[in-house]
Amino acid sequence: MKYLIIGNCAAGTSAAEAIRSKDKTGDITILSNESYPAYGRPLISYFLSGKVKPENMSYRDPSFYESRKISVLLNACAQKIDIKAKSVIADSGKKFDYDKLLIASGSVPFIPPIKNLANQKNVFSFLSYGDAQKIKEVINKDSKVIIAGGGLIGLKAAEGLFGKVRKITVVDLADRVMASVLDKPAADIIQNHIERNEIEFILNASITAVEGEQKVGRVVLSDSQELECDILIIAVGVRPNISLAKEAGIKTNKAIIVDKYMQTSQKDIYAAGDCVESVDLISNEHKILALWSNAVNQGETAGLNMAGVKHEAPTSFAMNAISFFGMQLISAGLICNTDYSYAFADSVANESKVRRLNIADDRLLGFVLINDFQRAGIYTDLINNNTKLSKLEYDIKSKDIGFNIYPRDIRKDKILGKKD
Amino acid sequence: MKKIYAFESKCLGCGLCEVYCRAAHSKSKDIIKAHKRENITSAIVIEEILQPKAVSYFALQCRHCSDPKCIKACISGAMYKDEDGIVRNKKEKCVGCLSCVLVCPFGAVRKSADGKTVAKCDLCIDYGLPACVDNCPNEAIKLLDDKEAEALK
Ligand SMILES: Cc1cc2nc3c(=O)[nH]c(=O)nc-3n(C[C@H](O)[C@H](O)[C@H](O)COP(=O)(O)OP(=O)(O)OC[C@H]3O[C@@H](n4cnc5c(N)ncnc54)[C@H](O)[C@@H]3O)c2cc1C
Repeated sequence: MKYLIIGNCAAGTSAAEAIRSKDKTGDITILSNESYPAYGRPLISYFLSGKVKPENMSYRDPSFYESRKISVLLNACAQKIDIKAKSVIADSGKKFDYDKLLIASGSVPFIPPIKNLANQKNVFSFLSYGDAQKIKEVINKDSKVIIAGGGLIGLKAAEGLFGKVRKITVVDLADRVMASVLDKPAADIIQNHIERNEIEFILNASITAVEGEQKVGRVVLSDSQELECDILIIAVGVRPNISLAKEAGIKTNKAIIVDKYMQTSQKDIYAAGDCVESVDLISNEHKILALWSNAVNQGETAGLNMAGVKHEAPTSFAMNAISFFGMQLISAGLICNTDYSYAFADSVANESKVRRLNIADDRLLGFVLINDFQRAGIYTDLINNNTKLSKLEYDIKSKDIGFNIYPRDIRKDKILGKKD
Repeated sequence: MKKIYAFESKCLGCGLCEVYCRAAHSKSKDIIKAHKRENITSAIVIEEILQPKAVSYFALQCRHCSDPKCIKACISGAMYKDEDGIVRNKKEKCVGCLSCVLVCPFGAVRKSADGKTVAKCDLCIDYGLPACVDNCPNEAIKLLDDKEAEALK
């Protein structure tokens, strides 16, 4: 059996691992168009700040691949899927035959229409280790950096650059930071905290044009403001990388359409991770849930099915654990309409904390925790299992949550591993 | 594999397990120094059960799940399952992002006191018999395999 995987990150690696756990002899080949072994993509901001050294970027040890006989080809970009011939053609011209194929091609940066942006040398995305390395090479103590996009990736880029450059300005079209994840009250807390670290925000504005030949020297905003700029980072969002699938005639919507076994519209071709549409547990809608754990789960599901073991993808919904300058934000599920909000000052830790729970129809639908994270996973599990809150031992609004929230029999089953 | 199980009827909530857990994961291996100088986070949570007329307790630590959510959520590759089935965290790779805390259904992974990594039970693999089990004054925590646990619970 020949397994071929396009993309060597969360979804691709986890698929290869799952395939090998069931098929000890088949050929497993991963094609990656990057020049580095698989790395934790979210670590690129930690690399930029210096918190993570290059030797700790790799996601798995070399022995992981050797012991499982998984062959990874770097700098190998898949250019075409030939469905009839069951093969993939790489940029080198080389042809790779497959019996089962996985598309785990992830996301590509979205570049908004900005006048005069083409061919500028000091404009970067912030999606890959390569991007982070290029940025690290060009910055210096005097750089004025403009980041387009105040979402998770833009803010992480800002944090990674902090202390290494003269000025960081984040520009976003929305009225708040992390607009796709947070509502205004939660976003304001995060923004205020980041502002204390001398990062400037310009909200309700977008970059409409850049000035300069080959090197952007100024950016022009939609409100006509102009800002000096040495380095421009475009982090306004990502799009699923679906061009290969689309050209091969595989069904796509916003992203690749898959069934619960992660199979695409084409037999023997699977897809997983940022490039597919997932079913959101809470809204039941098809959504792109560009999350590390989702990519790993889906990659595993795809891998198992590719190896002939029927397995359904686990549920998924939005969730995030992220910190900015020491402020820890943990959120999951639907976080608008929170019916319970509790902000308090922790005098011991000398920091402000926020706990907001979104409860409806006896169910927890989502939560936001700021600097108040210790047992967050128990909340996440209540969402995941659609648990009836009235069946629990106490009102989740009444105190810190613990495993003691469950009645004894449920606790016992969970501890004995009988229930997830 | 053997895991640690707690017995509510026996637990006094004294917290000694936490003290010994910290010592076992310290450099000094000394309960006082570990507490005073090393600022170690215990990998055990003591849960309180309020009953109409009494309070009971139990100690909870990582269940070393068969399909660990923490490993799948880990963005750095720090969390892994070793050959013996023990879920462990490579401190040198962990960035303390708390993705594991976000998904652990037991709430059994905790941010370390220095904020740099997380603390979780590793069954005292580098130490010997789990220190909490070894030092519980009332035998309220035991190291058992699945069958023994099933029979006792
Ligand atoms: C700065 C940053 C911070 C983040 N932080 C978090 C976080 O804290 N928590 C979280 O859950 N998620 C986070 N994410 C999102 C997370 O990284 C992604 O959801 C995850 O990487 C998706 O994995 P994937 O395998 O689906 O795709 P990707 O990681 O995008 O990997 C796809 C791979 O396929 C390669 N590829 C694409 N096309 C081809 C081709 N034709 N031939 C060969 N190779 C190809 C790509 O180069 C890439 O290496 C973050 C992302 C970024 C950029």
